[in-house]
Amino acid sequence: MKWIDIKAGFRDFWDEFKRVRFGLFGLILLFIFILTVFINPYIVPFPEASSRWRDITYWEDNPVSAPPVWVNWFSSTKRAPSLILKEHDFSEEKMGKIKLARAVFEYEYPYDLPPLDVIFHGYAKGSPVIMLSIERPDGQIVELVRRPISKSDGKDVRVSIGKDSRIESYNFGVKYEKPESNRIEREMVKPTSILFSEAKEGILVHPAPLKGVYKLIIEIILPAENDAVEDIYFTFSGGVSGWLGTDSSKRDIWSGVVAGVKWALLIGLLTAFTAVSIGVIYGVISAYLGGWKDSLMQRIFELFIGVPLLPVLIVMSAIFKPNIWIMILMMSCFFWVGPVKTVRSMGLQIKEETYIEAARAFGASSSRIIFKHMIPLLIPYSFASMALYVPSAIVYEASISLLGLGDSTIVTWGQILHDALTGGAVINGLWWWVIPPGLFIALMGMTFAFIGFAMDKILHPKLRTR
Amino acid sequence: MSEPILKIENLKEWFPVRRTIAQLLKGEQIWVKAVDGITFDINQGEIFGLVGESGCGKTTTGKLLMKLLEPTDGKIMFKGKDVTHLEANKLKEYRRNVQMVFQDPYASMNPRFRAQDVLEEPLIIHQVGETRAEREKIVRRSLEEVRLIPPEEFMGRFPHMLSGGQRQRVATARTLVLSPSMIVADEPVSMIDLSTRAEILHMMKTVQRELGLTYLYITHDLSTARYFTDRIAVMYLGKIVELASADEVIDNALHPYTKALIAAVCEPVSGKSNTGRSYL
Repeated sequence: MKWIDIKAGFRDFWDEFKRVRFGLFGLILLFIFILTVFINPYIVPFPEASSRWRDITYWEDNPVSAPPVWVNWFSSTKRAPSLILKEHDFSEEKMGKIKLARAVFEYEYPYDLPPLDVIFHGYAKGSPVIMLSIERPDGQIVELVRRPISKSDGKDVRVSIGKDSRIESYNFGVKYEKPESNRIEREMVKPTSILFSEAKEGILVHPAPLKGVYKLIIEIILPAENDAVEDIYFTFSGGVSGWLGTDSSKRDIWSGVVAGVKWALLIGLLTAFTAVSIGVIYGVISAYLGGWKDSLMQRIFELFIGVPLLPVLIVMSAIFKPNIWIMILMMSCFFWVGPVKTVRSMGLQIKEETYIEAARAFGASSSRIIFKHMIPLLIPYSFASMALYVPSAIVYEASISLLGLGDSTIVTWGQILHDALTGGAVINGLWWWVIPPGLFIALMGMTFAFIGFAMDKILHPKLRTR
Repeated sequence: MSEPILKIENLKEWFPVRRTIAQLLKGEQIWVKAVDGITFDINQGEIFGLVGESGCGKTTTGKLLMKLLEPTDGKIMFKGKDVTHLEANKLKEYRRNVQMVFQDPYASMNPRFRAQDVLEEPLIIHQVGETRAEREKIVRRSLEEVRLIPPEEFMGRFPHMLSGGQRQRVATARTLVLSPSMIVADEPVSMIDLSTRAEILHMMKTVQRELGLTYLYITHDLSTARYFTDRIAVMYLGKIVELASADEVIDNALHPYTKALIAAVCEPVSGKSNTGRSYL
């Protein structure tokens, strides 16, 4: 076949495909999925989710099991969302050899429930001293943390108000409580809930939110000439976090789900394509050859279909510790049996058609008859079964991951679901952990079903006249 | 008449009947003798009719000539060469020379192929024409030969978008693209509307004269056979019972079976009885 023929063929096909509306819809969905893979870094807050999904340090600033931000729209108590605050006013003073730097971050707080934690980040060189305080809307300034840095050539500084300023916060709050009602332990208080609440009785037990603009003040003493603290910013781990919330390991589900698109497409498409291609070709050849060759091929097929897929995959995964590519290969090795029987019976029927005989009378070779006359008839069926195998390949991959035998260097929807299952998402009502990956699996399946049905309509021209 | 293009000698096609275990043990074998020792010649440029009732083996004979079936016994000589058993590459060459028009033009075309693809296929198989444009030229020419004018209008159509007559014209055009020397036409008009039959046969005859083709015309219909053919062989139960020129066979039938066949032809005029029905 010449290139120009292929091009003309594609143009014809596209001209017809354009007219099938739901086919276009499926194509658009597929396009969006593929686009998501490419623009992944720009639409998620944690672009390294795919490679560092199991790295707890990557997720440590996030809240645990926080619902999605848009939950606020439907709830009367507004929770502070997760946030990264970089904007600040910076000033520097020189006192002899010592420098005094001061950075002020303004934080607007109109919510009912405070963030779970506020974390300061910076990159320190030399041996500076970092002092952190907060100015509340009522004018009170609370000094929170004083952190001297031991001499270094440069290291990341992380100060968590939630962990490192328990005593200071408690001392601030306890002034307003009556001594007799104050039975709360110092270790039990949540610093942020004190700091973001009205300074009155009950601040420790039943805090009322104090709305307004807070100022987070960083004062840094830089004793030597070359000492510096750079890249300073605050992260707020909120009561709500990200588009799809976080799981019990503080991971951002939106980032995970988007990172999973790539792997789902890969696992689903590659497995379904390889398996169905092998199966359809095998079935057609078996039907076309007939006789003892057909019988032999069917016995081999029965050998494969008799193998219980999941246990074998589990054993093979346990032995070979496969990466994702080997896994796809392993699944293809067993998935191909799916379409064989149906295709063979269809093939037996097609091969008796007069036009097959006519093609033989014109001197067409067996391979031409199989690939040009028989397989095209089976393409709609192939796409329909591919559409079925895409989700089932994803689910099988998930089943293997469920037993901890999956490729741990990547993140898949199946693995997120598995984590949700073992993390008790259902019992604890963490619906945002279960629904998105499930929904995405369904969407992916729908995409391929639509495209499959559209192709079915085109490749069966008779249907159009009805 | 010129020398024969095709010689058939004592051609046999026996199909084995599936045996019961008892028969298998006894070593018995029952055969269905579809074609049982037929001998005839077809001359260059001739239209040879093969007439008979359903199941008499005439289609099997056609398939034997097309090498779609392997003969049990006998010999087929084409242009002086023995073509009874051929290897793959010689078979391809033979098929380039001998083409077939099938009974049902709709079934004999892949419903997923446009007329253009249908006609292009033999060209691709036999590697005629370098590019698509070149092949398209040949396709267009053969469509014109079968009077599908303008060809552009029909090239893009699927078989179901063509009328019965147009379909059979496309099927005929398909046999012409490779410029064969002989065409086996297996009941080419039996599935076609009565009103267009004469038209199609006329077209086939014109093409035959223009291109100097040889036809083997297989039919059960003596009236079209008389109109269309030069010589007729009457086949009955796998054997040829009568062979003569078309007029001779119909006007002076010798074999009782031939007479029965003639008597069975419907007369369109009412009141005119079909005499001699009691021959069989």
